[in-house]
Amino acid sequence: MTVLAEGSYASPTGQEIVFVLLGVVTLAAAVLVVTTRRLVHAALWLVVAFGALAGCYLVMSAELVAWVQVLIYVGAVVVLLLFGIMLTRAPIGPSTDLDGANRPAAVVVAVALAGVLVTVIVDGFRTAYVPSARASSGAGSAETIGAALFRDWVLPFEALSVLLLAALIGAIVLSRREIGPAETDARRGGGEGEG
Amino acid sequence: MTGTLTSAAAPLAGSFGNLAGAGLAETTAATGAVHGNAWLMVAFPLLGAAVLLLGGRRTSGWGHYLAVAMSLASFVWGVLSFFQLLGFAPEERSRDLHIFSWIPVGSLRIDFGLLLDPLSLTFVLLITGVGSLIHIYSIGYMAHDPERRRFFAYLNLFVAAMLLLVLANNYALLYVGWEGVGLASYLLIGFWQYKNSAAVAAKKAFIVNRVGDFGLSVGIMIMFATFGTVAFTPIFEHAAEGAQGWVTTIALLLLLGACGKSAQLPLQSWLLDAMEGPTPVSALIHAATMVTAGVYLITRSGPIFDVAPEAQLVVTIVGAATLLFGAIIGCAKDDIKKALAGSTMSQIGYMHLAAGLGPIGYAAAIAHLLTHGFFKAGLFLGAGSVMHGMNDQVDMRKYGALRKAMPITFATFGLGYLAIIGFPGLAGWFTKDAIIEAAFAKGGTTGLVLGGAALLGAGLTAFYMSRVMFMTFFGTKRWDDGAHPHESPASMTGPMVLLAIGSVFGGAFLVLGHRFADFLAPVVGEQEAHAFNPLAPASVATFVLMVLGVSIAWLRYGRERATVPRTAPKGSFVTVAARKDLYGDAINEGLLMRPGQWLARVSVFVDNRGIDGIVRSLAAAVGGSSGRLRRVQTGYVRSYALSMFFGAAIVVAALLVVRL
Amino acid sequence: MSLLASAVLAAPAPTPDIPAPTIEYGLLSPMLLVFGIAVVGVLVEAFVPRAHRAAVQMPITLLGLAGAFILTIVVATQDITPASGQGWGKLAAMGSIGIDRPTLFIQGTILILALVSTFMIAERRTDEGSFTAQAAATPGSAAEREGLLAGATHTEVYPLVMFAVGGMLLFPASGDLITMFVALEVLSLPLYLLCGLARRRRLLSQEAAVKYFLLGAFSSGFFLFGAALLYGYAGSVQLGAIARAVRLGPGGQYATEVYGASGQFAQVTVGSNALLMLGVALLAVGLLFKLGAVPFQSWKPDVYQGAPTPITALMASCTLVAAFGALFRVFYVAFDGLTWEWRPMMWLIAILTMVVGAVVAVTQTDVKRLLAYSSIAHAGFILTGMIAADAAGLSSALFYLAAYGFTTIGAFAIVTLVRDAGGEAGHLSRWAGLGKRSPVIAGAFAFFLLAFAGIPLTSGFIGKFAVFQAAIAGGATPLVVVGVLSSAVAAFFYVRIIVLMFFSDPAPDGPAVVVPSVFTSAAVALGVAATLVLGVLPQSVLDLADQAASSLFVR
Repeated sequence: MTVLAEGSYASPTGQEIVFVLLGVVTLAAAVLVVTTRRLVHAALWLVVAFGALAGCYLVMSAELVAWVQVLIYVGAVVVLLLFGIMLTRAPIGPSTDLDGANRPAAVVVAVALAGVLVTVIVDGFRTAYVPSARASSGAGSAETIGAALFRDWVLPFEALSVLLLAALIGAIVLSRREIGPAETDARRGGGEGEG
Repeated sequence: MTGTLTSAAAPLAGSFGNLAGAGLAETTAATGAVHGNAWLMVAFPLLGAAVLLLGGRRTSGWGHYLAVAMSLASFVWGVLSFFQLLGFAPEERSRDLHIFSWIPVGSLRIDFGLLLDPLSLTFVLLITGVGSLIHIYSIGYMAHDPERRRFFAYLNLFVAAMLLLVLANNYALLYVGWEGVGLASYLLIGFWQYKNSAAVAAKKAFIVNRVGDFGLSVGIMIMFATFGTVAFTPIFEHAAEGAQGWVTTIALLLLLGACGKSAQLPLQSWLLDAMEGPTPVSALIHAATMVTAGVYLITRSGPIFDVAPEAQLVVTIVGAATLLFGAIIGCAKDDIKKALAGSTMSQIGYMHLAAGLGPIGYAAAIAHLLTHGFFKAGLFLGAGSVMHGMNDQVDMRKYGALRKAMPITFATFGLGYLAIIGFPGLAGWFTKDAIIEAAFAKGGTTGLVLGGAALLGAGLTAFYMSRVMFMTFFGTKRWDDGAHPHESPASMTGPMVLLAIGSVFGGAFLVLGHRFADFLAPVVGEQEAHAFNPLAPASVATFVLMVLGVSIAWLRYGRERATVPRTAPKGSFVTVAARKDLYGDAINEGLLMRPGQWLARVSVFVDNRGIDGIVRSLAAAVGGSSGRLRRVQTGYVRSYALSMFFGAAIVVAALLVVRL
Repeated sequence: MSLLASAVLAAPAPTPDIPAPTIEYGLLSPMLLVFGIAVVGVLVEAFVPRAHRAAVQMPITLLGLAGAFILTIVVATQDITPASGQGWGKLAAMGSIGIDRPTLFIQGTILILALVSTFMIAERRTDEGSFTAQAAATPGSAAEREGLLAGATHTEVYPLVMFAVGGMLLFPASGDLITMFVALEVLSLPLYLLCGLARRRRLLSQEAAVKYFLLGAFSSGFFLFGAALLYGYAGSVQLGAIARAVRLGPGGQYATEVYGASGQFAQVTVGSNALLMLGVALLAVGLLFKLGAVPFQSWKPDVYQGAPTPITALMASCTLVAAFGALFRVFYVAFDGLTWEWRPMMWLIAILTMVVGAVVAVTQTDVKRLLAYSSIAHAGFILTGMIAADAAGLSSALFYLAAYGFTTIGAFAIVTLVRDAGGEAGHLSRWAGLGKRSPVIAGAFAFFLLAFAGIPLTSGFIGKFAVFQAAIAGGATPLVVVGVLSSAVAAFFYVRIIVLMFFSDPAPDGPAVVVPSVFTSAAVALGVAATLVLGVLPQSVLDLADQAASSLFVR
């Protein structure tokens, strides 16, 4: 396979323009996540950011990753967050104490980190240009990923299943009550019911 | 085991001395059950010591039997090894036994290996044989001591260390044994530590020995630097190729080690004080075995000394000076054990003198060492027996006419006495004469001076030993009130009888027919056989001087009319000097101790003001920075994360800096 | 071809067969056995009545670890030639696993040390074991007291430990960064959990678990970012491919097999050096965190103190070995051609680690925190050996790890025995005069401390000697000077404890030394024996490490 010479950053295709727009949406939504004064809004803005990121993956024809992003991050993770907000009875309205005194320091660290990473990636891939037409040749399809996963990466894949099993056991260990007087549990259950 | 038995049986038929080999033997790997497991000889007594020391009071009831059994086990194994060795042709009688790699760090590779050859096995038999006898003797001698278990543990420890010393096939392992016997000696001299004199004597022995040990260790280091190894075989093969200056330095440092262990000038002073230990210890360690380690070292290192003639000369001078020195001290001491200690010093001087003469003298030195081991151990045990009967009185001026009260002791002591003064036909006569002859045979002025010293020493020996003999067993009773001398129990007299037999026949067995010299030849080199000639001029002169010495002693101490005052008279200038160990301690004190103390005081001052100051401020600095750094550990995860973040930045920076 | 078209075309056609991957089950058998036993342990939890669980879990865990150790030896005795034809070893499981002599030595060490740690975990005589009755109970609540009174304990600990050990075996054997990352998580996650299960001082334990988890996740992020950047540089996450890319340099091109499309090759262009350097740095941060090198050490004292002591022992021995194994593999294989670049960075880290570890330990008052700082300092010493970047450095570090592992487990085992009303007597002042009360225990602890200090006739001396010698041969003499100075500082606080134990008068209400069952006794005895044997007769293990290191890692 040879590197194709046609195309460059100077004459963007339609796909590339979409990609940039999605990127801007992601970035804007991410900034809003950390600046909004409403906790629930932050979670919702996160949906937007994740969704736009999924769009970026799609444009790069990484279909499987895109759908995984939608299902797991937009679906599961954000829902989990919202449940967390609900169960901990966090204030729905705007709250003033979401920011700490370390805000400036956090900004500095975040900007510095972003600066370093952007610099490195720009520097690293300065000359590399892969036209999106070539990218859509099936490298991101579920079939290719499946083949790679179950052939080349079968061992780490199976190891991940072990990791999940361990995590499961751990969750049980940390949450399950087996000993203790029954009435204690009953009282606790009643208390929660009243709340 | 069948192979062992047949090979052990074979040499019994033939005379073992006639199989003379040519030149130094090639070292061959040890095989067979007996030689292959020669390490057991060291392991037995070590195990005994471990059981007794770790077992505590539980072992008090039977511990001494265990110790005796372990010592005897080593002896039996030694005898078996000896006979198996005789089964080999002389040139194959050097058996190297590799046990395991001991210190394999970098280019320094030291193997834990044993060397079984005529020389080492001779020592094994002496150590375990005499050692076992003295173990048995001690059962009776120490019967009333509450700490008998500890005593036997130390004795076993000593036997193990001494066997390691003589069996090692390299200098590093030898050094381990060397330090081991030093430790055992220290522990045993100070065994009665509640006696201040014993504690001080132990400390003195320890410190003086340190000087010698330091010399030995530096010598071994230089050896490694020069030859790249510390194993005997390669060093001896390449001794002649080493730089002359370094080889001489090594030889002199080895001599320093030998002087410390063998109480030779100038490191002689500890031996007289070491008599504070129990008498069996004096017999075993400070007469028969440990103090001869120096002779062993020099004989074993023969190939090094042979190419360093200057060092050899120093050895002979040290030997000659010490033999006179010890003899003079022996003449003046009233303490029976100290008189014998002076004698030991003197006799070891003879051995050093012989060893310094080179191949011609090695066999004579070792032969004298063996016979000396017998008669001196016997004399010490006899002295112990006398003390046992006299309420631990050691002053000979309070003995007298004991021959009737203790007949067995008298007989065995007497035979040892005759052997040491060189009475014709007894052990000492053969071996001491050989040394005197060898000294004269060196020729030139050196030979005359050395031979003369040895001759004079023989006369002095006759005098002071006769003095001991007569003051103790003859003359009039000068006992303390309440002394009821009695013969000692069989466990004590038995070993004395056996040692007396050795004192009578040992010399003839070894020297006649050139037997021992031929046996040792594969190790120490060949010497031309010359028949033993009792009518040689030197022998005659020795005999005359001996008679002279005995006669003077008889006139002064032995005959009925001679009066020995119960308190020592003032004595002449020489006597006073000799009583004070010829000012050995004073010299040490003036030359070494005072400047040493002064240096120590200066050092303490510098240490307190300078080094301690630096150390304290350093410690404070470390503590301070520790406290400051500790504050970083706030306990907050966020600050930990931040520190990791900065750490990552440092790592990135460190990597990028290289690229710039 | 558009997405839609391919979907339409593919729909009627039967699903194409994926060629089966080749998995060398024989070579992977130690890891498979450990994971298998862990799964069996989970089943035991599900089906065996509570009262019998511990009696079932403990033997299968011990047998599993012992069996895996034997399998490791079996694998090591086979004749395996790599594709290059030189040395010994093989890339197994589609390149995900590298089985070679250093890896097998590391795995064997981990298994033996895990076995000894499991002895401590199995101990029930000290206050019914070291683990909480029920983790879900709020500290100080009635439920917790009930659990304690009922003498309950979490037997899930055994499968969790086995999962962690499996991850530790996988971690240094990983042939690519993805497997390594997964292994890192497999070994870490159970440890995060286990840290929170201490029976006494529950709050401290839970705090430790949370801290370890958060910081561990943070460091995993570094690792992952580093791996991504390295992929950007080399076009592959295979350690061997990264090494090849490093040799080619930026702009170089090589062909690599396309994942998921067997038989197809793609031309890869090596990326810029910025990617490489940042990738190396971030990957190093992830790895150095696990072994607690300064400045990534901050979790160690808190976690070591809070975790149940048997788990602390497991972390201080096995995790350290595994983390060093992975560090060695990455830096010896992937960054082999970059030695000159990473060496100054490692110098800096090693110096910081030795100095900070030794200096901060001086003012510690808790024995577990002190051992944690000692572990930091020792990590620095081992890094010193690594800097030589040759077989001698690897060999010395391997020996050091094995020797240190035994000693540290023994030391922590003794910590579990010295107890007062509130559990383990952690504060050093409580240890005063222990030598007069329990001379054997205090003597063993003193022996371990002397080994930590590197006194001759202990394994610590031989280890330090070997490491420093390798460093000097590798031209890092100044580093060795710093190392020796730090050892001197470290020796100060070790000796201080010995003085405290033997020359101070015991407090009247001082802690009691529990008479342990055979398990903890075995852990202590093995620790003493290994420390002594490796100190007096180190030859066989030194030879083994030499032999293991001489063929280096397979690529």
